[in-house]
Amino acid sequence: MRTGTVYTETVVHIAPEAFQKDVPYQVAIISLEDGTRVTARVEGERVQIGDHVAETHQTEGVSFFRKDK
Amino acid sequence: MRTVVVAGTGKSAFGAFAGRDLRSLAVEAGKKCLANAHMRPEQVEAFYLGNFAGPSFVGQNHLAPFVSTALGMVGIPSTRVEGACASSGSAFFHAVQSVAAGLYDIVMVVGVEKMTSQPTARVTEILAGAGDTTGEVKVGSTFPSLFAMIARRHMYEFGTTREHLAAVSVKNHENGASNPDAQMRKVITLEQALAGKPVADPLTLYDCSLITDGAAAVIVTTQERAAELTDKPVRVLGIAQASDYVALDQKSDITTFPAVRAAAKKAYASAGISPRDVEFAELHDCFTIAEIIAMEDLGLVERGQGGFFSAEGQTRRSGKLPINASGGLKSKGHPVGATGAAQICDVVQQLRCEAGERQLVRHSLGLAQNLGGSGATCVVSVLGR
Repeated sequence: MRTGTVYTETVVHIAPEAFQKDVPYQVAIISLEDGTRVTARVEGERVQIGDHVAETHQTEGVSFFRKDK
Repeated sequence: MRTVVVAGTGKSAFGAFAGRDLRSLAVEAGKKCLANAHMRPEQVEAFYLGNFAGPSFVGQNHLAPFVSTALGMVGIPSTRVEGACASSGSAFFHAVQSVAAGLYDIVMVVGVEKMTSQPTARVTEILAGAGDTTGEVKVGSTFPSLFAMIARRHMYEFGTTREHLAAVSVKNHENGASNPDAQMRKVITLEQALAGKPVADPLTLYDCSLITDGAAAVIVTTQERAAELTDKPVRVLGIAQASDYVALDQKSDITTFPAVRAAAKKAYASAGISPRDVEFAELHDCFTIAEIIAMEDLGLVERGQGGFFSAEGQTRRSGKLPINASGGLKSKGHPVGATGAAQICDVVQQLRCEAGERQLVRHSLGLAQNLGGSGATCVVSVLGR
């Protein structure tokens, strides 16, 4: 699975209908090791800019990451 | 290229109007604009409609002739322009270009959006359509969340603070409170702004612009024709439009908008001015952070200094560089497809010295900056007497 660092992040409190069950949830742009970036969901512990993260799974084209300890 | 002049402007009321439909708002603005320019509909040679999401908000397509015929213009080319929140800025750009190039002598622009017929969750979803629906939107990004991520990075790189963002909000509320046409006329304190309900961290309700029904219209013509019609002509000294990636994660640096920089550079060059000649500006404060970055990208302040400059009070009406004397999108309201045209109306009002209580002391050269999405479309206009 891919790893990277958090380029930026936010916690969403007001969401569209389809995501309301998840509120509040964290979205981040991750800088991957190959130099590209991906917008992803972060599960578990909240992350900050510069934190190392690892991908846990993909569901319907959405990547999920967790803090990499 | 011929010199282009704004011959008239008009705005509908801005607000949440349960009983008003899209067309009635557009017609109200258009009629006021025709009257202001002392023109009849038959004189208009081409029509551009700025509208972002009429098909989604109200289920109506084919919007340009739907509006222009209701204004009494039948037979002329009538075209809808869509560039997210920069739709009518872009419509204005195309209208100005067509007159400058000699295609037409009189062109009308109307921007309109009817947003409040949908619940907030659906509005959020429709607005998210201005982002990349194959990536960031699928993940659950909303527009506030995209600008929240921009704010976070700007804070990280330049030391911008929550207080800086709040200062922008307090100032725009202050201006809106003295604007009879503003949707929200309420002064707020810094403490209130800081304690707002969270939308997407670090942004609160006080950092986000409003959901608004409204329309704005502008008529452009040649210098010769304007001389026959008005004794208060306002010249379009420079105008440019530029584009960039739609998805935020495709940009190498999200703390700056290359499209704003590119459009500004061109607009300044054609106006023959430098950023320090700008006396006042209407900037696209869809979120407080957007106003801060716009000032930086337009070269009005040094990179990274927008927040500090705002917190010092320099962008208030009494400050060195008044920004959004109208109240901005935060207080005046943000009917997305109408915003670009409304900004032109507000700059023209200052240049004509018709802003009443909000009239600025220095008012001979003003700028409007209209941003679409998270920076994929930008129009910069420099206007002067």
